[in-house]
Formats: sequence, structure tokens, C-alpha cells
Amino acid sequence: MSRDYPLGTIRTEQVWKRFRADQQRMLLRDRVEQAARRLRGDRGEDWRWALRDINLHIEPGESVGLIGSNGSGKSTLLKMLTRVMYPYAGIIDVRGRIGALIEIRAGIHPDLTGRENIYLFGALLGLKRREVAGRFDDIVEFARLGGAIDRQVKFYSSGMQMRLGFAVAAYLEPHVLLVDEVLAVGDAVFQQRCLDRMREVAEQGTTIVFVSHDLPAVQSICRRGVWLEQGTVRVDAGIKDALAGYRDSIEAQSEATARVGEPLSLLTYEVRGETGEETLHTDEPVTVELTLGGDYRGDATLHLGVSEGTSSPIFQISHEIRMTGGDHRVACVIPRLPLPRGRYTLWAGVYSIGKTDGGTLMSWHSAGQFDVFGPMLDTPPRAVVLAAPVFVPHQWEE
Amino acid sequence: MGGQRAQVIDERGGRPAPPGVAIPAGPPPELVFKRRLRPLQVAHELWAARELVRALAERDLRARYKQAVLGFAWAVLTPLALCAIFTLVFHRAVKIETGAAPYTLFAYVGLIVWQFFSNTMNQGALSLANNLSLLNKVYCPREVFPLATMLVATVDMAIGIGVLGLMFLVFWTAPAATFLWAVPLLLIQFAFTYGIALILSVAVVYLRDVRHLLPIITQMGVFATPVAYPLAKIPHRLQEIYVGLNPLGAVIEGYRKALLYGEAPDGRMTLIAAASSLVFLVGGYLFFKKLETGIADVA
Ligand SMILES: Nc1ncnc2c1ncn2[C@@H]1O[C@H](COP(=O)(O)OP(=O)(O)OP(=O)(O)O)[C@@H](O)[C@H]1O
Ligand SMILES: [Mg+2]
Repeated sequence: MSRDYPLGTIRTEQVWKRFRADQQRMLLRDRVEQAARRLRGDRGEDWRWALRDINLHIEPGESVGLIGSNGSGKSTLLKMLTRVMYPYAGIIDVRGRIGALIEIRAGIHPDLTGRENIYLFGALLGLKRREVAGRFDDIVEFARLGGAIDRQVKFYSSGMQMRLGFAVAAYLEPHVLLVDEVLAVGDAVFQQRCLDRMREVAEQGTTIVFVSHDLPAVQSICRRGVWLEQGTVRVDAGIKDALAGYRDSIEAQSEATARVGEPLSLLTYEVRGETGEETLHTDEPVTVELTLGGDYRGDATLHLGVSEGTSSPIFQISHEIRMTGGDHRVACVIPRLPLPRGRYTLWAGVYSIGKTDGGTLMSWHSAGQFDVFGPMLDTPPRAVVLAAPVFVPHQWEE
Repeated sequence: MGGQRAQVIDERGGRPAPPGVAIPAGPPPELVFKRRLRPLQVAHELWAARELVRALAERDLRARYKQAVLGFAWAVLTPLALCAIFTLVFHRAVKIETGAAPYTLFAYVGLIVWQFFSNTMNQGALSLANNLSLLNKVYCPREVFPLATMLVATVDMAIGIGVLGLMFLVFWTAPAATFLWAVPLLLIQFAFTYGIALILSVAVVYLRDVRHLLPIITQMGVFATPVAYPLAKIPHRLQEIYVGLNPLGAVIEGYRKALLYGEAPDGRMTLIAAASSLVFLVGGYLFFKKLETGIADVA
């Protein structure tokens, strides 16, 4: 019917998926009522598209980050790739063994012990008992389960279940590895090891599709990014471009949410470089100038922050100001900007002094973005997540 | 200021797809998914899942036979207790005529078959519903879940057959030499039972309240099937229709003839039962496979 694609290929062509939009109770009497209504000529069915016209072609060995806001259809797409769910229309073709970690308990049978689960999952992947036995020690070692391996999985903590699930999925040498937002329950050390392992299997030629809201982690694993929005592919490109597009859209959204009814608001802001020019450069002076307006009179603290994407701020500074009921202009000079090349978001918020809660005069929000020109940050060692990239002026001596 | 960046164009030749622009309103009708079953592929998948069937059955058995003595007792006690009651009621009170064979043996043969059927039906019907969390995450041919419950019931049946052997000792009779007829009858029994389990298991996923019907079916079935009485009690001209609807009738009757009376099972009845159970098996399987595609959506 179709061409013979090599193992590890993922292909979807015009894939559509819909779910019932109306509430369904799955009871016989509801069905009888429904049938009665249908006889009267009322269709009574209401469907909603979860995925529309998804065309993806992923080569063996590619690592693809699947990003998008909640409910955009990422998990649904992964479920269809694992063949757990069926599409409404379209062609889905995944070649080779699939290792999947869709939810924390992915493929884990709660009543069986960890050991039995490993063999069971191997069997599901089409491996022989002997083949699983050969990798058994690696899995237990990676998951750091120790004595818990002979305990029933339902008594594992979430993190332990995830460890086991990930270790099994990643060590049974699948041709395709699908990982949905699950690593978050692991502790920081284990997350890092998972990312490492994903890199490793990617280098061995395993195709990876990685879903996560942890964008730096996605960036550290994937070369290609697919951004889903409301069930359609918005951008399918290199990971940087896809992430940039996605982040821009998040920021556009959070800027759009107006903060009405607060005592103070940010009227204007400007970020400029040395001698007033528009472009900003790494390690050079930068001036941030803001105008605040509002009825409030009294002392307040102004907080400024800078972030990359929507993650937590890279750095954050504050200043006490006295508001007199009119517009208030304030400027801040940073003599040497510690940011490498990239696009950043400026955040601002004003709080009354001496109150830790309820004293919000202007809530913390992103004011806008600015670009910095300068040297690229050196690429980190493999699989290290780029979390808060700051440019630190430095000199080497030997 | 946000959003000033230009729309990123896919360097791989894919399409940048701003929402609402290049997306058609619906999929082309010729691409709408239809379930296609290739028998060879199905068989291969099922074979590949044998480990899974074993593991699932083992889990159930292990849970039950954790206390070896009690677990074993449950498998034996239920049919024995029913057997005792049937002997009292049907043999002593109603005076069912069983010819040369002791009534207790006669009833027990029927009870083994019935117990196997009702175990598989009751457990099998819930086998998908109880494993929905697993079904939602790993792919495997879903028919393995009812199959595993049938495997468990088979183990119970084996124990029951062991007890039957002991009963032959107690009653000083030997199973007749025609007992090899039991083999084809066993196949009919398996086919019918699995067909029913397939249908009910997927029905319970979509209609959760179907499970409340199970006890009723079980209660009525034991009397609607010739367990306590011979098939001959059913009016002669209705027998063929009856066996067509309930092949277990012919199966039980066949076992009795082969094991207790040393006769070959009635050829005509056995053929009807075989044809009927094949219809149940194939029909149930197709029904199951058709509805299987939506299980993850409603889970
Ligand atoms: N079984 C289901 N029945 C009905 N609607 C469903 C079902 N599964 C998913 N949906 C709907 O489909 C849409 C996509 O869901 P999906 O789980 O794929 O989102 P997601 O991109 O994984 O989101 P998140 O980032 O929160 O994990 C959602 O609107 C969800 O409500
Ligand atoms: Mg999800």
C-alpha cells in the first residue's frame, strides 16, 4: 500500500481526531433515550475537533519537541502514535517498536511488581524474555529502585513509578520513544539523567518525540519543534524558531490580559543602549526608563525583572519611589548588561512598602520585549538545560 | 511590542499553518478511518501478546491462590456445594432420571462447564473496564484481556476435572472409553464462551450499567442450561433451536454421553452447537474489534 519506510519513521497524513463535546454517561438508559431522539430525527450528537489536518513526517533518529498550550492536542497526538487511540481520519504510520511514557504510570500495571512490569512491558514491545533479562540490570540501575523492584507498583511513589516507566521505555531499545510531560515528577537529579538518556538514545538513532512545558528542557533535547495550537500545526521548524514563535504568542497573550482597577499602571517604557541608541549590546550600558501613572500617593517599591521566554526572571532589581498622585518618571542604568544575544522580556510590578500581601499597586506583569545583540552564549555540555543564561564577563589565563 | 517576529517558515518544506487559513473544514471523506482486519496480522499480534496473556492470568491466579489451601478450596467448593444442592433438590425431590450414571456425577459434569462459562463471562465482561488505565497507555491487542480471564477459568476447570476424577473413584465407576469425544466438545465450549466474553467486555465499556445484568444472566443461565437435568427435558422439536442459541446444552449433553454412558455425542446436535459457537466467536470478535477503536476515547 505504501512505501517501505525504515524503522523509526513516523508519518501522519491528514490526521483528524474528534471527541464528543457533549457529556456522556455511558449508561444503557442514556443510549435508549438517545436512540429515541434519533428516531424523532434529532441527531443529538455534538463533536469537537481535537486535532485537525496533522501532517508530520519524522525521519529515523530525529528528535522532535511537541509544544503548545494546555488542550492543544499534544497528548492526543501521542496516543494516536502509540496506537492506543484511533484517528477519525487520516493515515498514521509508525515503524518499529514504540516505547512510550504517556502518563506517569505509563504501561505500568499497578498490581504487578516492578520486576514483573519490566518483563510485561518488554513483552508488549515484542521482546523475548531473554532479551529483557539482558537489559534488566541496566533498567533497575537507572531507575535506582533497589529493593523496591519486588514490590507491587501501586505502592510506589509517583516519582518511582515515573522512574520505572522511563527506564523501561528508554532501555528496551525502542525505535521510537514518545515521552509526554511526565519528567516533572522526578527530582532534579533524575530529570537531568532522563534528559541525558534521551540524548543518548537519540544519538543511537532512536526517533524521539518529547512533549513538555519545560521549554529549556525541550530545547536541550530536540532539534526540531512542532508547535500545536488548537489542534493544528502552527509551526513545524527548527526547535529555536518553534520555541521563539510559541514564546512570543504566550507573551502576546499575557500582555493582552489587562490589569484593570489597579491603583498604578505602566504608561510608557523604554529600553535603550549607550548614548540613546535603540540597539542593546552585551556588556554595555543600558537604560530602562518608565513612566508610572495613577492616583496613589505615598511610598512604594518598584520591581523590575528580565526573563527569557516566560520562565522565571534571570535577574530582578527594585527601587523605592514616592508617588504623588500624578505621573512619575523613573530611570535605571545598568552599566554592563549581563545578557547574551537573544530576545528578552521586561517585567514590572509595584507594591506598597511594608505590606507583604494585599499591597499590590501594580501586579507583576510583562511590559514588553527587547533584543540584545552580542556574543552567543557558548553551548553547554550535552543535555544541560539552558535555564538562566547570563553572560558573565570573564578572562582566561593559562 | 510582542509578536513583531515574522511567522517562521518551515525549512523542511512543511507548511506554516496559521490557524483557520489552510485548514479545510473537515477531512476528505476517503480518508475517514475504517477498521480493516487482516487475519494474518491479527493472529500474529495475538501470538506476540502471549506473554501478556500469561502475565495477566498469572496475576489473577496469584492473587487468588496466595493462600494455597483457601484458593484451591474456592475453586472446588462452589461446584461441590451446588452439586450437593442439586442432588437433594433435583434427584431426591424432582426425581430426575439419569439412567446408569449416579446423579451427583451427572450434575457435576454440567456444573464444571457452567462454572467455566459463568466465571469467564463475569470476569471477562469486566476485564476491559478494570484495565482501562492500562489500555490508555500501552498498545496491545485488546482481546487479550478477556482471553486472560478465560485462561484463569480454565485453570479452575482443570481443578474441577481433578475433583471429577476423585468422584469417579468414590462412585466406583470409570470414565467411559469414549471420553476422547471431550476434545472437540471442549473446543466448542471455548469458542462459545470466548465469543460471549468478547461481546460483554466491550459492551460494559460503553454501557457501564450492563454489568448489573451479569448476576441475573448467571442466575437464570444455570437453570436455563441443562446442568441439573438432561437435554431431553427440553421439548424435542425445540431442541435444535435451543442448542443453536445455547451451544452449552449440547456440549454438556455430549460430555455426559462420552464420559458417563460410553456413547458418542449426538452428531447432529454437536454440529449445530459447533456452527453456532463459531458464529458467536467470529461475530463477537468482529463486534469487539469494531468497537475497540473507541475504547481509549471513552476511558
Ligand atoms: N477522551 C476524551 N474525550 C473527550 N475529549 C477529550 C478526550 N481526550 C482529550 N480530549 C480533549 O481534546 C483536547 C486535547 O487534549 P490533549 O490531552 O491532547 O491536550 P494536551 O495538548 O496534551 O494538553 P496538556 O498540555 O494539558 O497536556 C482537549 O480539549 C481535551 O479536552
Ligand atoms: Mg497532555
